[in-house]
Amino acid sequence: MALKVKVGKIGLVDALKFKNLPATRDKVIEAAPAKEITADFPINNNAKKLHPDCQKMVITKIRDHGKAEAKTFFLKRADGEKAAYFRAGQYLSIALNIKGSEITRPYSISCSPSFTAEGMYTITVKKNQGGFAADYILKNWKEGTEVTVSEPLGSFFYEPLRDAKNVVALAGGSGITPFLSMAYAIRDGIEDFCLTVLFGSRTKDSILLGKELANVAAAANGRVKIVNVLSEEEADGFEHGFITADLIKKYAPDGEYSVFICGPEAMYRFLVPEIAKLGLEAKYVRRELLGVTKDVSGCEGYPPKTKTKKFALTVRQGENIYETTAKASEPLLVAIERAGIAAPSRCRSGECGWCRSKLVSGEVFTPAENEGRRYADKQNGYIHPCCAFPVSDIVIEVPGTYMK
Amino acid sequence: MVKYDVVVVGAGNAGLIAALETAKAGKKTLLIEQHNLPGGCATSFSRGRFEFDPSLHELCGVGTAENPGNVRLLLDSLGVNVEWCTVPDCFRVITKYSDGGAMDVTMPSGVQPFIDKMEEYVPGSRSSMEDFFELLTEIDEGIAFLSSGEEASNKELFTRFGNVLRVGSHNCKDVFNALGIPQRAQDILSTYWSYLGVDMTHLGFLHYACMVHGYIKDGAAMPAHTSHAISVAATERLRELGGDIWFNCRATEFVFNGDKCCGVKTTMGDIECDMVLANINPDIIYGKMVPKEIIPEREKKLSAARNKNYGARMFTVHMGLNKTAEQLGIKDYSIFLPGTSVSEQEYKNVLAGEKTNEYGIFLCYNVVKPDYSPEGTCECSITTFMAAEDWNDVAPAEYAAKKTAMAKKLIAVLKRKAGIDIAPYIEEIAISSPLTFARYLNAPEGSVYGYETTDWDGLMARMMSVGKDYPIKGLKPIGTSGPRGDGYSSAYYCGQMIAQMALKEMEQGGNN
Repeated sequence: MALKVKVGKIGLVDALKFKNLPATRDKVIEAAPAKEITADFPINNNAKKLHPDCQKMVITKIRDHGKAEAKTFFLKRADGEKAAYFRAGQYLSIALNIKGSEITRPYSISCSPSFTAEGMYTITVKKNQGGFAADYILKNWKEGTEVTVSEPLGSFFYEPLRDAKNVVALAGGSGITPFLSMAYAIRDGIEDFCLTVLFGSRTKDSILLGKELANVAAAANGRVKIVNVLSEEEADGFEHGFITADLIKKYAPDGEYSVFICGPEAMYRFLVPEIAKLGLEAKYVRRELLGVTKDVSGCEGYPPKTKTKKFALTVRQGENIYETTAKASEPLLVAIERAGIAAPSRCRSGECGWCRSKLVSGEVFTPAENEGRRYADKQNGYIHPCCAFPVSDIVIEVPGTYMK
Repeated sequence: MVKYDVVVVGAGNAGLIAALETAKAGKKTLLIEQHNLPGGCATSFSRGRFEFDPSLHELCGVGTAENPGNVRLLLDSLGVNVEWCTVPDCFRVITKYSDGGAMDVTMPSGVQPFIDKMEEYVPGSRSSMEDFFELLTEIDEGIAFLSSGEEASNKELFTRFGNVLRVGSHNCKDVFNALGIPQRAQDILSTYWSYLGVDMTHLGFLHYACMVHGYIKDGAAMPAHTSHAISVAATERLRELGGDIWFNCRATEFVFNGDKCCGVKTTMGDIECDMVLANINPDIIYGKMVPKEIIPEREKKLSAARNKNYGARMFTVHMGLNKTAEQLGIKDYSIFLPGTSVSEQEYKNVLAGEKTNEYGIFLCYNVVKPDYSPEGTCECSITTFMAAEDWNDVAPAEYAAKKTAMAKKLIAVLKRKAGIDIAPYIEEIAISSPLTFARYLNAPEGSVYGYETTDWDGLMARMMSVGKDYPIKGLKPIGTSGPRGDGYSSAYYCGQMIAQMALKEMEQGGNN
């Protein structure tokens, strides 16, 4: 080889130095003290505080909202620590054991993020038709009840690098809760944007958290505005009818604005064409979790003559194997939970991927609007059981859960 | 109790390869992973209509199907199929030369084009650059020989790999000077420091050489569908080979029988095994997961000598934009945006905190693969490095604002230096801080890079000390803290190398 590189004056010395690298390293190691090894890092501790595996909470207070048919529950950390901080608009996944079913439900946090300093969150639960979990909670949760909740989750919050400075919120029913939290956060100087809430209710009396909303609007220095829209009653100071494109335009500020949507499925479906009329860029329209449809057979592409069937379901989790059955009309996650298997789940809308599981064999149907899987997962037989409906016998491998 | 031959703890890059290696050798292998996804850093996450890659910019050593690099050969040999896209240019860098002049250069892949382009930017650099690449080739061969375990006399070594031996103990700066590379060309070459998180006066030349050669000679590549696609290809191959995988399963403690590790306690139950390969930083293994009395004296001293000098911590802004790269005037896949090309100074500025840190690596994935994101959009990221001190005391209530401020600064740096204005077009954005990495990886201080590969503890010194560095029977750390240092490819090589070492130990154990 023609090339001869010399770094030091004498090449042989450098070569020796190279050969001696391990000996030199040994010397450094030998000279160090044989101290006990510790592994306690502030960054990791902070990360754990922001993102605990789960949080044990106790119900300390319950507020009944009367005709709005809802209750606000005040949850406090059982260990006396601060509750994990959240961005206004985020939700908690709540673990429930109802008659042997190990289930979770996502509930938006309805208080100010400042509550976390006292170890607190509030969630507001509204009675809804066929609401298995809501009914259970409203009936059974008392002061002193212990509840396991997740870290705060979701991306339904104001993002200053993305959203317009003015946000028009469209809410229906218990969909008001993330916006109440945002309003508190604005009042408390935690968030810096202007919020106009168009809130759909049936009647004046059934406006959920109406007093709280009025109070926070009054205390927010003009940065929070509440417009109540009543569908079944006409009254002074209230809009009448449904939330429409015209109504949004009436209350939208001049210039750019973002639209945030949170409400029941029917309201969302009504709003889609209305929002289209506004001609907003996609980045200015954001919606909270959609949930999963109650009638999968109505979805495009659903195989005919399947919806009434029942299938054999084998669930593997670690070394355990469970045999059960799954109805075609329900997501696999529901069948897994009903069998008493504690499997991971959070958003229950197909989006977050926390329930990501390996479909070992069988076939499922995922509604297009709930398709939140990663590209490679779709290609390799991974599914999100929260939104995957069985269309054959199924063998599935589910991850463990930390919500214990 | 469940029993496996091998339990691999952590499905990071090293863990995936190690599990494949032991499963392929016929060992009953269980891979457990604390997250519900494989890959560690090599994963993806979705926001709206975008899927983001949290860590991989480009991978060296992939090459093409016809002309494969080492990474492709390794994955092929294990049966891991990945769709790759070749990155057209090596990099563009916009900064100042060390003499203060403005630098805006775009360096191509391929040795000859790289040399030609360098001559264009720095006239008179040609002959030293030719020497540089000749030296890199010798180093490639030398390292392959040294790690093959083949015996050779000193004389033979000296004849065949004289240059490797002579430069092997030196840092990049010294070798650049010895090769007579003009200062401005050195400035351009120094841009690569950032991938390894150590400046040029502390980075061992051999370490640098391995990486740079991989990028320039073979060209870099990125997976067509985020690095999650690599990790999933690996897990599915592991299943084919008969291995099991438990997700959302955290190892809490390693169980010993005398001085030999014989099992793992996990959040999904206890597991008995002959060998544990732990994709975990040794400080965490020794600090939290094993009985104190089994820790050898030398391991304590090694940890003390390393003094918790963990490698780089990343900060990345991921963005889905509602305009195409073309519409935004983005022509380059990667643009390095250092404040200065003097790597020692830049390294100091970066680590001194947000105020002085103006470093950014900008990427636009659609330049390589136009349909990487939905039609009419493009996907970009800006990454910088951060000191642990920046994040140690951040209060939860201030965390979001701190991330936002730094992201805003990086977006402004891009506009100022490269004239690319992306701020109005952000449809989705996610910001990963060292806390984010700490959350998902549990790595010390959220570092993604093991220990700093510097001075006495560089790549070669570690490679040559492997015999002493793994003293515990039945338990071997793998990953970026290992002999091959940091980065995806290094983690792959480490996983394979240590798994092979473990297989040998198991064979010997079986014979006793």
